[in-house]
Amino acid sequence: MKRFFIPAIVLLLCQLLTSCEEIIDINLNDADQRVVIEANITNFPNTQVIYISRTVPFNDARPREVVTDAEVQITGPRNNTFQFVYSDQHQGYINRGFTARENATYSLRVIVDGEVYESTETMPMPVPVDSVGMLRENIFNDTYYFATLRFQDPAGVANYYKYNVSVDDKPFKFFSVFNDKFNDGLYVTHQIGSVDDDIEMTSKVVIRRQSISAAVYRYWNEFQSTNPGSAAPANPTSNISNGALGYFSVSSETVYEFDFSTYQEFSIQDTSE
Amino acid sequence: MMLRIFFALCSLLLFTTVAHAQNRVTLSGFVKNAQSGETMIGAMVRFPDLDISASTNSYGFFSVQVPAGTHQVEVSYIGYNTIFNTIELKQNVQRSFEISNESKEIEEIVISASSRPNQVKSPQMGALKITAEEIKKVPVIFGEPDILKTIQLLPGVATGNEGSSNFFVRGGGGDQNLILLDEAIVYNASHLLGFFSTFNSDAIKDVNLFKGGIPAQYGGRISSVLDINMLDGNQKEFGVEGGIGLIASRVKIDGPIVKDKSSFMVSGRRTYADLFLKLSNDENVNQSKLYFYDLNAKMNYKINDRNTIYLSGYFGKDDLGYSDQFSFDWGNATATLRWNSILNEKLFSNTSLIYSDFTYNVRVNSNDNDFGIASQIQNWNLKQDFTYYGFNNHSIRFGLNALNQTIRPASLSAAENTSVNSITVDTRQGFESAIYASDEWKVSDRFSMIYGLRLTNFMVRGPGTFYDFDDDGEAIGEQQYGSEVVKNYLNLEPRLSMSYLLNGNNSIKASYNRIVQHLHQLTNTTSSLPTDQYVISSVNIKPQIADQVSLGYFQNFANNGYEFSTEIYYKDMRNQIDFRNGADLQANNQLEGELLFGKGRSYGIEWLLRKNRGRLNGWVSYTLAKSERQFDQINGGEWFNARQDRTHDISIVAMYELSKRWTAGATFVYNTGNAITFPSGKYQLDGSTRFYYTERNGYRMPDYHRLDLSVVYEPTPEKKRFSSSWAFGVYNAYNRRNAYIIDFRENEVNPNITEAYKIALFGAIPSVTWNFKF
Repeated sequence: MKRFFIPAIVLLLCQLLTSCEEIIDINLNDADQRVVIEANITNFPNTQVIYISRTVPFNDARPREVVTDAEVQITGPRNNTFQFVYSDQHQGYINRGFTARENATYSLRVIVDGEVYESTETMPMPVPVDSVGMLRENIFNDTYYFATLRFQDPAGVANYYKYNVSVDDKPFKFFSVFNDKFNDGLYVTHQIGSVDDDIEMTSKVVIRRQSISAAVYRYWNEFQSTNPGSAAPANPTSNISNGALGYFSVSSETVYEFDFSTYQEFSIQDTSE
Repeated sequence: MMLRIFFALCSLLLFTTVAHAQNRVTLSGFVKNAQSGETMIGAMVRFPDLDISASTNSYGFFSVQVPAGTHQVEVSYIGYNTIFNTIELKQNVQRSFEISNESKEIEEIVISASSRPNQVKSPQMGALKITAEEIKKVPVIFGEPDILKTIQLLPGVATGNEGSSNFFVRGGGGDQNLILLDEAIVYNASHLLGFFSTFNSDAIKDVNLFKGGIPAQYGGRISSVLDINMLDGNQKEFGVEGGIGLIASRVKIDGPIVKDKSSFMVSGRRTYADLFLKLSNDENVNQSKLYFYDLNAKMNYKINDRNTIYLSGYFGKDDLGYSDQFSFDWGNATATLRWNSILNEKLFSNTSLIYSDFTYNVRVNSNDNDFGIASQIQNWNLKQDFTYYGFNNHSIRFGLNALNQTIRPASLSAAENTSVNSITVDTRQGFESAIYASDEWKVSDRFSMIYGLRLTNFMVRGPGTFYDFDDDGEAIGEQQYGSEVVKNYLNLEPRLSMSYLLNGNNSIKASYNRIVQHLHQLTNTTSSLPTDQYVISSVNIKPQIADQVSLGYFQNFANNGYEFSTEIYYKDMRNQIDFRNGADLQANNQLEGELLFGKGRSYGIEWLLRKNRGRLNGWVSYTLAKSERQFDQINGGEWFNARQDRTHDISIVAMYELSKRWTAGATFVYNTGNAITFPSGKYQLDGSTRFYYTERNGYRMPDYHRLDLSVVYEPTPEKKRFSSSWAFGVYNAYNRRNAYIIDFRENEVNPNITEAYKIALFGAIPSVTWNFKF
């Protein structure tokens, strides 16, 4: 619910604040390194990559420390195992023959320096989108563009959705997760894009939509609800054992491409009047 | 059971009234302001040759017993001229005194304005009193005099964020302060996200803050009591006063309805920042709203010499809206009906019926979203208080209190054909009843004490669904209750405060109090928001309990011209509340599963030196303190600093009378930055840098310091009735960029590198206000 009015307040304050921003030096401690596992497995028939790394000090020039000698294995629903091996090209662990299926349960097992990290997830059923569109909004004299996805949310079950977005062929970034707490069973519109994104009339927008589990939703929701005003930021709760950072997700994924320039003639909804 | 004890106590005291009076007589009555007829709270009535004194209660009433005969009596109040009288007392006498703070119209013998001699003698400790005159002199942000900003300059009271009216007393939480406006509980004491308090100082008579040794008549919040009294209204003549400032304008009207029998006061304030939005040519902007207003009103009616009725109320609202797509408003309302009765010259009674609430409403109407969110918290409170002055050297207070607390958590109501569902969350109800008794006892010339007991019973009432949770906060069982008692908490709260006079000018004091709290505010941001959820004690949520001990030394110098005090305290807090990571606090029927319970401790030492007389007035305050929390599920079970933990906190307030027309003021504050959680490493996920956190509140914000200046110019009045003044001020005079937020991000050019940045909220802010009075 806070989503609806915090933006308005923040927008007002931002006008005052941005001029007062300043880069500063802070002496931060170097904590003991922790293992980070990013295992985002989908039903999408392309190469699945599992990334294993360690945390690095805040002032390190590297964004992470890649772990190349981990043992990585996924066990499928019929106890069939898939070994993932390190690939220099991907900077992660791959298995070309592996595809996950809906409703099936998978277990992840990673061994780094003799420590075992484990997790088990079941792929949720996908929720099909039946129409896509675009939206133009005027907020404080600026025009913003959003992609919209409309679909029927299945009634009586908790559904969780995750979106990653790529704008103009830049790498995919996490955009948002949604649940259906306030709109279970309704015809729902998800609006993708934010005032920070530089989506223009001419942008090419690619959206990856995943139906995710409650545990993965929780991980990302904790991440997205942390902001500078939070009382105490913390590491999102991982669904992987033994204190690893990161998550194990097995999801059904659909990709939507929007070429905004071809949309503008016929289907932009305008809310500015 | 509680009622029976109570009535037994009443009849005992009424009976002893008859039995006790022999060759002593009672002088009782009221102390009033000579110009306005306002009753004076905490004024001293003293018999210097007998060394007997009494102070007036919240309604200006006093009663004191002395041997029959002719005595000298002096009446004094902070900043007012002390009056001396000779009074012949053969039998019980009821008499009222009028004192003045204007030097010209005094007929009786006068010494210079008095200070607070009772800070040394009174057994009460941890208490600070501020008068409306003092609040108006201290420079503050935007030139608006503000009670909450002023008390933040006192020792043991810490500020929330920059410009925030949220305050933390002796390491306690922001929701652990009992804020009373004419006895009504004020739930949310701030406007505009905290930059203003809800208290319009035009309508305020005086303010008392209790940080420790909290008297037995107060209960319900474990850290402090802020007791604010509204003006009654001028009994003698009509008056209008007000001010026009850059942010807000105010006006107050008061006067007699029936002279010396009944009077009224109405005071209003409104901001007008939104008027500038109207200038915008963007339709969405010029239809937007951004303002707040306050309305205080009070009237009283004196039925006869022994009975007076007071009716007072407050209503305030903040309104924020963007176009017609979004609106958000919130506010408090309070109403207090009081009946003061002097049952006999030794027994004073007050009966109050009080209502207060806090509501917020959100309306969203954009695209295919059309819904509203409404939340309300309210209480009805019936209080009966007695003060009995019948025993020598004792003044006994006792009473009872019944409070019905209702919380209607935010519920969502959606229009037809919109893409959200309506959600209703169970209303929660609690019934808190209390009886108390306390005795202020002058044991000897040097030793006096206040000892008391408060017995509190809290009933969690149905109907509703209550859940049981496992260690991970997952619901494992639920139980439906009808209109019945779900859970009962009975607690005994002992209170004790003692003083020992070393000589006439210095004393040592010690105190202990236990307080229980049943209403809890859930805040998961650094600044409290109007949308913060409240919960009452329930099956899973145990009442917060605090035990505090403190020890102090008090001394007055130079004939009470200076006063010095130092207090050391230790506070132990049980059943403190925090949240699980990513807690879902909104419209969640299983909210209690998101909560974590732990304990807290805080300790510190406070120094205060005040100068009350002369052209230079003000105070210096310094607090050295620590406040920590411990939760099994947070920070690996280790103790961590509370967010409001500040090692050093210094305030200097100075007001200097340059001439009859010009007065200058300055405030300087310095404090250690709040404890905060910063990352101790980073990693990469989904192609972006993420921060790695290791310990809760293990870092500090940078030190905070600031200087505010003000000048008040009062031209000599041209007409007798009309006076005006100009107040000029600068907030943050040397333009210090204090960090409001510190955050971390990827460098724009090289995303592999991370950087820290800070956002400062306010630079130097000038203000000007024109005040008038006629």
